[in-house]
Amino acid sequence: MPGSDPSRRYGAWWQSGAPWIWLNAAAIGTGILAVAGLFVLLAVRGLGHFWPGEVISFDYRTNAGGLHIVGARAGREAIARNQYLEAVADDPGAVPDPVERWLVKTGNRREAAPDFRWVFAHRATNLAAPPDVVVFERTEWGNAYGFLVGLAENGVSVSGGPTWAALTERIERAGRLRSEIDRLRDSEIYEIDRQLERLRFERRRRALDGVERVGDIETDEARLRAAYRAAAIRRAELSEALGRDEVSIRLMDGGEATFPLGTIIRAWQPNRMTVRAKLGHYLEGLWSFLSEPPREANTEGGVFPAIFGTVMMVLVMSVLVTPFGVIAALYLREYAPQGGVVRTIRIAVHNLAGVPSIVYGVFGLGFFVYAVGGTLDDLFFREAQPAPTFGTPGLLWASLTLALLTLPVVIVSVEEGLARVPQRIREGSLALGATKAETLFRMVLPMASPSILTGVILAVARAAGEVAPLMLVGVVKLAPALPVDGNFPFVHLERKFMHLGFHIYDVGFQSPNPVAARPLVFATALLLIVIVVVLNSTATLLRSRLEARYRTVEN
Amino acid sequence: MRTDRHRLFDTLTRRLVALGGWSVLAAIALIFFFLVWVVAPIFAPVSVERLSGVDTQRGDLLAVSTDDTFAVASLITRGGELVFLDMASARGAPPDTPRHSLAEAPVKAVKPVYPSANTVALLTADNRIHFYRIVHEPRFNENSRFVTSRVDALFDATPLHLDSYVDNEVAAHDVFREGSRMQVAILDETGATVLLEFPHADDARPLRDARIERLEPAGDAADVMFGPGGRWLYRFSGNGAYRLTDIARPGVPVEQGAGQLVGAAGQLTALEMLLGRYSVLVADERGVVTQWSLRRAGSMTDLAPVRQFRFPSPIDAMQAEPRRKGFVAFARNRQAHLVHTTSHRVLESFRFESGPAPPLAAFSPAADRLVLAGPGRLASYAIHNNHPEISWSTLWRRVFYEGYDEPVHTWQSSSADTDFEPKFSLTPLLFGTLKAAFYAMLFAMPLAVMGAVYTACFMNPGMRRLIRPGIETMAGLPTVVLGFLAGLWLAPLVENMLGAVILCLAALPMSVLACAFAWQWLPGRVRARLEGWLALVTVPVLAATAWLVFSFDAELEAVLFGGDARAWMYNALGLGYDQRNALVVGIAMGLAVIPVIFSVAEQAIADVPAHLVQGSLALGASRWQTVSRIVMLTAAPGIFSAVMIGLGRVVGETMIVLMASGNTPILDLNVFQGMRTFAANIVVELPTTEVASSHYRLLFLIALLLFVMTFAFNTAAEVVRERLRDRYARL
Repeated sequence: MPGSDPSRRYGAWWQSGAPWIWLNAAAIGTGILAVAGLFVLLAVRGLGHFWPGEVISFDYRTNAGGLHIVGARAGREAIARNQYLEAVADDPGAVPDPVERWLVKTGNRREAAPDFRWVFAHRATNLAAPPDVVVFERTEWGNAYGFLVGLAENGVSVSGGPTWAALTERIERAGRLRSEIDRLRDSEIYEIDRQLERLRFERRRRALDGVERVGDIETDEARLRAAYRAAAIRRAELSEALGRDEVSIRLMDGGEATFPLGTIIRAWQPNRMTVRAKLGHYLEGLWSFLSEPPREANTEGGVFPAIFGTVMMVLVMSVLVTPFGVIAALYLREYAPQGGVVRTIRIAVHNLAGVPSIVYGVFGLGFFVYAVGGTLDDLFFREAQPAPTFGTPGLLWASLTLALLTLPVVIVSVEEGLARVPQRIREGSLALGATKAETLFRMVLPMASPSILTGVILAVARAAGEVAPLMLVGVVKLAPALPVDGNFPFVHLERKFMHLGFHIYDVGFQSPNPVAARPLVFATALLLIVIVVVLNSTATLLRSRLEARYRTVEN
Repeated sequence: MRTDRHRLFDTLTRRLVALGGWSVLAAIALIFFFLVWVVAPIFAPVSVERLSGVDTQRGDLLAVSTDDTFAVASLITRGGELVFLDMASARGAPPDTPRHSLAEAPVKAVKPVYPSANTVALLTADNRIHFYRIVHEPRFNENSRFVTSRVDALFDATPLHLDSYVDNEVAAHDVFREGSRMQVAILDETGATVLLEFPHADDARPLRDARIERLEPAGDAADVMFGPGGRWLYRFSGNGAYRLTDIARPGVPVEQGAGQLVGAAGQLTALEMLLGRYSVLVADERGVVTQWSLRRAGSMTDLAPVRQFRFPSPIDAMQAEPRRKGFVAFARNRQAHLVHTTSHRVLESFRFESGPAPPLAAFSPAADRLVLAGPGRLASYAIHNNHPEISWSTLWRRVFYEGYDEPVHTWQSSSADTDFEPKFSLTPLLFGTLKAAFYAMLFAMPLAVMGAVYTACFMNPGMRRLIRPGIETMAGLPTVVLGFLAGLWLAPLVENMLGAVILCLAALPMSVLACAFAWQWLPGRVRARLEGWLALVTVPVLAATAWLVFSFDAELEAVLFGGDARAWMYNALGLGYDQRNALVVGIAMGLAVIPVIFSVAEQAIADVPAHLVQGSLALGASRWQTVSRIVMLTAAPGIFSAVMIGLGRVVGETMIVLMASGNTPILDLNVFQGMRTFAANIVVELPTTEVASSHYRLLFLIALLLFVMTFAFNTAAEVVRERLRDRYARL
């Protein structure tokens, strides 16, 4: 019970060690706080971006004069009054403390750069949310903000005037045309290009082998060229159709801007939208973030190729790492003479787990890419040289490197699973006349299979979050084509690929327009973390299920 | 039959599995030996091998040069004749060797048109300069490649007449050309020096519109040389006196340093300019070669001695390498010495054949071949010398580079200008690696170990079941996300609210202690029930304290630091501030490594045999006494091993330092300055480096060092853990 003398009370309290216990507890508390804070920060910054926020308009007074600003508020912060007064000449009487500063996205990068401006809140007057302001998401030059004033078809204003309905209908038409053009480019024209390239290699190969007959190649080439011309004409027609409509908007400074409707992906009137409409818009934005390729040097658009590249890489890696990991664990647990051998290999496994990932990257680049890949090129891809085929970073080498890196994860997990299989089961099987191999394949491995799955999932989680080695062995900021497509041999292991983790680094740190890209980086980081955490939790869950199962077996 | 098949299957499985098991060991050995294999050539000894000797049947040689592929040697004789010799045929010059007459009058001197290698300027006895370009073109026919050589006369084959510029016979000349701007320096027998500038030199037209500039005469000057970029002019006398003139501003030559390159006792025997012409190599009668480099001292630029090489016999001639800061020196005792200046090494010495005079020498552009021309004979050598600039001491010790005032530790792997060499000192990188690791461990170690103690000894089992997966989640956080947040969110936050961040270090523990003190007044029943959940209780306390400190940052900084913590630090402590600094790296990398240390340490503490704890408690020790005196001491090796594993992790962590450290290779322990680590350096530089270059191999060396460091940490950790496991088993 609390005593009356605080100083004695204090001494006893200190003696009891309670402060230390509290400090130790606070260490855990700090960890919890840091992890929770990290998730909240990523969620708020990353998910908020897709919400169609209010667009405001206000008159703004600068020391050089006044202007009218229309845009979306992208951030706000407070600065101390005296700091403000040091930097800006202003009437001290009219300055509040602290001074609020807004970051306003005014868009219209082509029409009136810059697309982000800092403004001081107390200098804004006539703040309003005009209901008829329109936001356009464009394929280039970022968003446009303005008021709809004209809609023209082939240079002639459409009958009925520039109505919202007419605009949305025409944007839909443009969207269809654009996807048709994309399909044409990605499947037909690209395929023809690739076949022509293959014929060119065939010609080289025959020249290298001293074969002079090239008649069949020429026939094929002529056929492909004709197909190419046809596709090009079709594309030109579609492009012309896409350029049919134009939209004009009034900008915040009163001027007008006209741009082709074909460049518009979406248009919305945020200040007119109901919460439900906003929610729909939000989900649509989130979906296009996940399903679309990036635009504008990765600062806009989606991350689909990065997701796809990451998934492909971990898939190939799993195929490579699983058998090796399982076999190594089987050796350690079932076959190896216990003692020195096991101890040595176990130290090797722990070291393999402890070697920095960047060292794997260096090894992968030197050994897989240059030594193995270079040799493959010399042997099988003479016709493509000096352009390397496998002698350059690519998906296969990245997967191999990460397979090596995650090998210990699989080994440790499978070993643990094998250790849990009760000895009685092995003995029972052997006693019934089965060989050791039969026991292994019929009894032990099926029982340990969840642990194999756990190991692979943990390996995948590790690989999905790993970036440094990939930067050396195959990741690029923008891959021209996915590693899987409809062209023979369908899976292109030699291609370079995009990766979510590298995308975060690249867009966050090497982007030409970092302010615009920042929300996308937060969203990508959130996506990556969610993937990794879900994978890890699945593995943990599986493992605890497994534990429970063996408890019942043993009882 | 059936049994046989079964037995075969069994045997095959056994073999395959054993192979798979050993392949793990093979993998780690492969990584190690592959890295060693790539690194080894850096430290391979230099060797020289004589290739062939050719009879040229020509004496009076003035200049020799070769093409890129070392297929053809070109010789220029005093009689003004140019001969191309096929280096491949060791038979000597065939009688029908094509000859080209370059000048009618005897040639006095031949100099390359600096900095080009294949254009030459011939000074003839009739006071003219003839300009030629020697062109070697590789050609291919069905099954071989060969080189065709020709010589083109420049400036419409019109020589430059010098009589209109000087009254006496010209003794020496030098030419510098940069695009269409060409400068010619001539020195006559009386030391009068004239600088001619042709602003619109065009290969197809005669030289015209010379701007003439007369420099202060240099009495006994015997040779003239342009310095770097044509902005400097050196004049040398036969006895080692020099004079340096700044000619960067047209019409306003400024005399700079002047002096003596060899001491009063010595006598100049040979003089050569190093690549880039920032340095002069001076050989004297005692066999000493001294490197003198341009150095600024106040408003004057002068030559200053940088380093010396001593040889047993005087050096009569030297030839600098075309692309590196190396040279070959020919001694009077018929020994040639291959030297690299910056690494201060004599790499190899070999015997050469020569007539009475020292030979003329030319390197192939890659400096892997050397041709020596004596009277009537031409000898060629293969030189295996790929990494002369790297030695163990240049990697770790201070090195005196051209243009620096003192020896320095510098990592600067690429330079804007080929005249400057890359600077490879691993010291700043190692320092940066250790600095980042130190601050990360400073942050992570207390938190992880304390957290482990609490979790293992005091935490409620229900909460422990939640915390363990939570910690695993934290371990799985991709470091790229932590690095991104550290670089783009935390770094600006810390920069803006430095006062609050520093204050948090004190305020957070204090607030927890205050809360702990107040805790006693709670009813005992509540306290007992919450004891295992204290960690959760501290979360709101910590959050509230941090929020308070951060929201009153401006006021706090005003009171404590006079308004701005950064300015205060700079003024009061003299500490500079980078936005991306060791503090940010320490926090982010600390967070990444806490779960690693935590889980190993927690395991070690939880495995302490229960009877030790029970015995201590039974003897009347309090729980904290038991934990601090018994449990911690017993588990100490396990905690050590946890720290080792953590250390291995932070030393090699890449993405966080790449994004949050600023990546500047500086030697500064200040927590508010950045650094560049081994791992970040690899990932920044390796993708763009040329395969098999010194830089490439050095980056592999860095990877090897990382491998060895982490191998040591992890093996130590593993051995300690094994011992601890044995000890627990015995207890």
